[in-house]
Amino acid sequence: MELFDNLYNGFAIALTFQNILYCGFGVFFGQIIGVLPGIGAPTAIALLLPLTFTINPTSAIIMFAGIYYGVAYGGTITSVLINVPGESSTVMTCLDGYQMALQGRAGAALSVAAIGSWIAGTGSIVLLMAFAPALAKFGLRFGPAEFFALTMMAFGLLTVFGGENPFKVMISTMFGLLLTTVGFDVVSGMPRFAFGVPQLLGGFDFIVLICGMFGVAEVFNSIEQSEDEGKAIKGKLRLRDMFLTWEDWVATRWAIVRGSIIGFLIGMIPAGGITTASFIAYLAEKRYARHPERFGRGAIEGVAAPESANNSASISGFAPLLALGIPGSATTAVMLAGFMMWGIRPGPLLFTQHANLVWGLIASMYVGNFLLLLMNIFLIPIFVAMLRIPYSIMMGLIVLFATVGAFSVNNSLFDVWMMLGFALLAYLMIKLKYPIVPLILALVLGKLSENSLRQALMISGGSPVIFVSRPISALFMGAALLAYLTPALRWFLKRWRAAGQEVTVGAVPS
Amino acid sequence: MWHARVFGGLAVLALGIVVIFFSRQLPYHSDYGPGPGFLPTWIGYVLVICAVVVTAQELRAANNKETFFQPRTRMAVKVLVIIVITFLLFPVLGFSVGFGLFICAAMRLMGGHRWVACSVAAIGTTVSIHFLFDHWLGIPLPKGLVGW
Repeated sequence: MELFDNLYNGFAIALTFQNILYCGFGVFFGQIIGVLPGIGAPTAIALLLPLTFTINPTSAIIMFAGIYYGVAYGGTITSVLINVPGESSTVMTCLDGYQMALQGRAGAALSVAAIGSWIAGTGSIVLLMAFAPALAKFGLRFGPAEFFALTMMAFGLLTVFGGENPFKVMISTMFGLLLTTVGFDVVSGMPRFAFGVPQLLGGFDFIVLICGMFGVAEVFNSIEQSEDEGKAIKGKLRLRDMFLTWEDWVATRWAIVRGSIIGFLIGMIPAGGITTASFIAYLAEKRYARHPERFGRGAIEGVAAPESANNSASISGFAPLLALGIPGSATTAVMLAGFMMWGIRPGPLLFTQHANLVWGLIASMYVGNFLLLLMNIFLIPIFVAMLRIPYSIMMGLIVLFATVGAFSVNNSLFDVWMMLGFALLAYLMIKLKYPIVPLILALVLGKLSENSLRQALMISGGSPVIFVSRPISALFMGAALLAYLTPALRWFLKRWRAAGQEVTVGAVPS
Repeated sequence: MWHARVFGGLAVLALGIVVIFFSRQLPYHSDYGPGPGFLPTWIGYVLVICAVVVTAQELRAANNKETFFQPRTRMAVKVLVIIVITFLLFPVLGFSVGFGLFICAAMRLMGGHRWVACSVAAIGTTVSIHFLFDHWLGIPLPKGLVGW
């Protein structure tokens, strides 16, 4: 009953005129961001973050959540119509979605994506409601040792999911951690790596960094890779084409369910992310299909599964963020920065100390998902029109918002130059194939990780046994160790298989 | 491209060494546990180890056909130069006028738009920034000699 009481209170907050407006703006803006290649949810939220200083935090987080899951819907449109994923989470949708568009079924592809996303999103909210408070209660048992072990697990999982090369992921993670050590040390009060520059004594501001690394760096990157601009839109789009046939429903019903479950589980894993969720859902669907050869040639399940998964994951990603204060993706990391900016620390106590915010946010997800369903069926032509905005103007707006964002933190031009410096760094990292997301996650979790480590070692009198003598901490440490060893295990497995094949080939008589 | 990637690996190696050097000047232990130099020292060691592995990997992948400078890299550099000039002009022109000129230059350079369109966009941007950020959101953006 407590759950329904909370949800009732949540709806009372989410259904105020002001919050419906913020939610509506969030999902609409998220759709646009999803449609536009080269700008993602973390960038959009990072650029808007400094403008929300004066807004009520509940309304602001409702808007940002709307952007997040709105992006997951919006990226589908370009994937289906022009074979260019608006977001990395919709890459898998291109495979069958674009083929459907070439066969004149763009409307059905977009519809199944919207309906699948809605079903998955709504189902995921129900699971989130049930699971997040339980996770928060579990989190109340955490001490410094558990929090340190949890961050270690998150960093470990980054080496599994965060990029192709685990060593580059580690470098990126370490660099993020290093940035958090700049400035006064909280425990001893001693300055670290400030080199006499007074502006560095307070450390790097997260907003300055993300405005540069996600906003302006993305501009340089998009300029370099803009050959896809001006692609022709395939397929006609009329309202009647948007309705699904009975065969479509039958073909996709289990794909949506499977995609939703996979998405929910992957979204909960720190560093899992919505892209991994859609990828795994697609592969799973293909593996268990009766006719896997249809995949890649316009199979509607190939659109339904990844789309359901990415939306489900975008919702379930809020569980570790809200209940434990651990973001699972770059977007939730930026949102965590927003929470901190408003003076709210997500974690086990959030559900009791800021119950209105949490339940208002959860209830707003129902509203947002419903609004998105309507928008995706009736407003697709408007979003497609957004693709006609010249990139020179859009690029200018991104640089403008990033600069204002960086400046407004301390009203300092030093931060603006710092933002540009980090943009260049991120641009070079992307070119040299160093992933950015681990850096951002480490940047957000760095202080928690270091402080927990030092507090735990103070409690234990310097003995690291504390991390393995407490059951929850030991569990997280074990998972972290396994995650760190996974790339090595993969490598050995690959070598072993290759060696096995060589032996088999050698055994064949010529 | 592999030259750039090897250079990237070596740059990380250098960073790791610098981090270890400066971390060792901070106390590793304190009265109650690890000191301020504890974490940075370990970050430095991990950076060095990973950098050695990555550099070795990049050297082994020397036949990689990718190039560091792509056909449109020059355009990205041009945009960077415009951004730097705009930032340098903030104290003189102010934020609104500076960004108006930035939009004008970006449209002309990247989109090849006509001067009239670029000028209209520049004026529109200047006025919009002034009213949106300065008046509505109350962000005290730098003002130049014009007072905007």
